[in-house]
This record gives sequence, structure tokens and C-alpha cells, in this order.
Amino acid sequence: MEQPHSILTGAEAVLNVQPNSSLSVTYDTLFGSSDNHMLLELHDEILPDLLHQSITLRGEPNEDVVLCTLSKTYAVKFVGTSNSVFLIPPSRHQFTQNGQQSVASVIEISPGNMELIETAPRLDRLKTLLAQNPYSSMEALQADDMEDDSKESKMGLCTWHDLVNKIQASDDELRNGLEALSAVEIDGFWRIVDEKYMGEILTMLLQNSILNDWSLDKLDEDEVVTSLVTDGFPHKLAYHCLHVYGSEVDEARGKSCVWTLDARRVCVHFARQVLGVGKMKLERFMEMWLKKIPDGMNANLEMLEGEVLTEKVGIEMWVRGFSVASLPSNPAERFSVLFRERPKWESKDLQHYIRDLKVPGLSSEGLLLKYTRRTQPTQDAEPVFTAR
Amino acid sequence: MQIEVKCSCGAENCPEWAIVELQGVVEVQPSHRDGIQNLEIGRLCRPSSDEKYTLTIGYHELSGTKVTLKKPLAVLKKVKRTDDGKVELDVVGVIRHKILFKTRPKALISRKFSTNSHFLNHSSSSICSFIVCVDFFIDLNRRTS
Repeated sequence: MEQPHSILTGAEAVLNVQPNSSLSVTYDTLFGSSDNHMLLELHDEILPDLLHQSITLRGEPNEDVVLCTLSKTYAVKFVGTSNSVFLIPPSRHQFTQNGQQSVASVIEISPGNMELIETAPRLDRLKTLLAQNPYSSMEALQADDMEDDSKESKMGLCTWHDLVNKIQASDDELRNGLEALSAVEIDGFWRIVDEKYMGEILTMLLQNSILNDWSLDKLDEDEVVTSLVTDGFPHKLAYHCLHVYGSEVDEARGKSCVWTLDARRVCVHFARQVLGVGKMKLERFMEMWLKKIPDGMNANLEMLEGEVLTEKVGIEMWVRGFSVASLPSNPAERFSVLFRERPKWESKDLQHYIRDLKVPGLSSEGLLLKYTRRTQPTQDAEPVFTAR
Repeated sequence: MQIEVKCSCGAENCPEWAIVELQGVVEVQPSHRDGIQNLEIGRLCRPSSDEKYTLTIGYHELSGTKVTLKKPLAVLKKVKRTDDGKVELDVVGVIRHKILFKTRPKALISRKFSTNSHFLNHSSSSICSFIVCVDFFIDLNRRTS
């Protein structure tokens, strides 16, 4: 029996027109009736994630949408064209009978396509959300008494799943954002711990170190956590304290992990504590600050770059707290806040307040170029940056 | 909220779609306006072994070439999940090439035609762009103008 002669139809026909042949282009039977198709430009780097089903669009209905892979975030731009873009799907039938001509049918005329622009994750909302309900010593006390997980007390708290639905960032970027905020997962909810409470735990840790003659750069995890739990702190937070103020040293080897306290993080903590009351003379600050630093730890002002600002008032030097972590992560907003704080900045100070700004495609020089005006009074003078 | 983008065909088997792109607009004769489904728009020819093509619409003959897209396009369709009514986007195809007609069309005046369609040439193409809102994906009855 003769095989039916296969004549190409649909997209295959269009893409494989043989020399000296032609085909008819028609409106499809379903033209105008189906839901619109959308065309999305595919970057090479997105393909693997697409294959593994890990691409999502994120955002609230009225927000600008972002497309997230596992580790990156993209803004979506629709680019419309005045050209007529006839969209032709593959044919629905494999073979056509002898005598029928080759036909390609147009299902739709596409108004344009979507492009992806890599963008910084929008993590400011994460800060705001978690700051609404910091975990405090009060809550830790109540947790001991409460056996049931009453739902009302969980209002306003976010699980990982909640965060993924509310924050426009990829999973990896969201995790990094949580890490940067020193957030901790307690009972399935992501929390920021109240600064005062963290301070209490740290102080207790330092006291215990003195009592037990522990070396601050060789802390035994089990010993530290056990002692803090005995003092009444939740296990999770005792461990979190080590994580916030220290780093793991290699070589656990089946035994308990060893931690070393990070001098800079500890010193910054105490500086913030001292400056919590407001600005003060530098001399006074140094006196009070150095008193709080644990023995064996060296503190110097360079550690506080990006955390405090100093300025000359009359003949005296004053210092006040101004932490880069408290600033918006959107570049335009960041520079706006910075110039409100100080109309003129020298590079040596400014660089610490923009070091964490990440904008795909823009270096820090590029950022300065875009958002500031650079002036240099003389050849030898330090360049000064002001608002554009 | 999250809208998942899936490739239910399993991306290696993603069927290839095609685009024929014209710099202009095709107008359908008034008598056919109500039912253009299945109507012929024109004839696509490849006169020789070169990747050169002609498209004849009405009495216009357009000349074009097959272009490989710098970045392939995914063809997405909105899908409503049956179990919870959540919206998902399904990749139903991929486009790697298009046949692009952007030169001035030639008028074929010596032939007689009965035509359904007429081609209105644009001397250039214009683009417009905007940042997309999330509800663009939820409510697809909104057409961009």
C-alpha cells in the first residue's frame, strides 16, 4: 500500500520551504478565538532553570512583575511593534492526503514580545516586614509557658513560603537577604531578633567566657550553647548568637563545632549600644566604647566605617550612629537619604555607604556617575560628591 | 503571589513555532470581515535555493529572508490549574527563526486577482515598550494597543 505523501503544514512548512516551491498562508480556524499567546525572549542562562521548572513570576497584582530563576531576578519589559507578526504553530496533523496543498495557518498576530532585564532583588520590603515583629525576650518567656501554637500569636509572621510570595527576589537572593539581616527561623517563621535581646545574649556569652576561662577565638559550640540555655535563653537563639557575632572555624571532625568571635561585629555592636543615646563627643565615645570591649579584643575606629559618622563641630570632633544597614537598597532612594544626611561627601566616607549597592551592569564608579555630581576644587584636594 | 512557568512538553521536545513578520498591516476585504478564519492571506514562495522568500498578498509582492533570532522566543500560554484554580504559564513552543519582510513591496499590476486581503505597507516599523504589571499575566483579555 502506498504511503500517504506527507506534505508539511504549519510551522514546519514555513521553516522548510523547499527551493522552487510555495505554500498558502491562511488565517487559522481558531484565529481570534483563543487566549492570547505571549512571547518571551529566552536568555541562555535561563534555559536550565526553565527545564527544571524553577522559573516563577513574582509580585502583587498591581506591582511591576519580576521573573525569578533560582538565583537571579529580572524585570519584564513588553516591547510592542507596529510590524505584523504572524504567529504560526506546528501543524495539528502529521500527514495530509495526496493532492492537498501545503498550508500554514496563522493563529494570532502578536503585538510584541517580552524582554528580560536583569535587576537587583527588591529586598527592602523584607526588612520592613520582619521589623514589624522582632523576636524579643518577652516572646521567649511566653513561649515557655504556651504549649499550644495559638494561631493569633502567629499573625503578621512570615514563613519561607509567605516570604517567597511577598518579596520580589529569587530564592537564593532571598536567602542572602535573610542572612544579611541576621534573621533566624523560629518555629517555622523567619524573625529578626530584637537588638537589645541579642545584646543580652552576647553579654551573657562574654561573661560565661570569663567565668569558664574560654578563649574567644576557640569557643566550643556545645559548651557555649549549654551554658546559655542554663541561663535561660532558648537553644535556637544561643546558637544564633554564635552565628551573628562569630564564625565557624574548620575541623569539626565529629566533635562539637568550634567558633571564633569576630572582633569587628562585636565592637560594632557595642558602638551601636553606646551611640544609642545620640551623638556625643568623640573622646567620650571612645572612653565608653573601649570599656565595653572584651579583654583581648582590639577596637579601632576603622571598624566603624559605614556605621558611624564623625564631624568637626567648632574645635571638637563629634560622632553619631549612621548605619549602612538602615539605608534603602534602591540606589536612587539610597543617595537621596545620604544627601539629606550630608549635602557633601568625601569619597573616603561615601564609599562605605554604597559598598553594598548592587545594580546589575553598574560598577560603583558607574553608580557615582549616575547619581552624584563630582567636584574637585583643586588638583590636590579630595573630590567631593553632591546630589545631582 | 507567584505564577509558575512550566514546560509541560519537556523542553527538549518543545515544538518549534514560526513567525512571518511584515512591515505593515494586512487588511481583509469588507465582505469577509466577519469570518476570516480559514481565509487565505497570501502565498509564501521560495524561488531558488537561496534563503530568500516572497510573500504575495493581493497584488503586492513582498521580499524577505529567513532570520535566526539572536535570542529565541518562548511561546507561553496562560493555564488555569484544575485543582486550585491557580494561574500558571505553560511554554507551548519555541521560536528560533522568522521570515522577515521589510523591503518595499512590489506591485504586481499585470495579473488579475480575486483577493481577500490587501497589504498596507509601513515605511518603517515603530516600537513602544512598557514595564509589565503582574495582572498582565492574570488578565489576558487585555490587549495591548
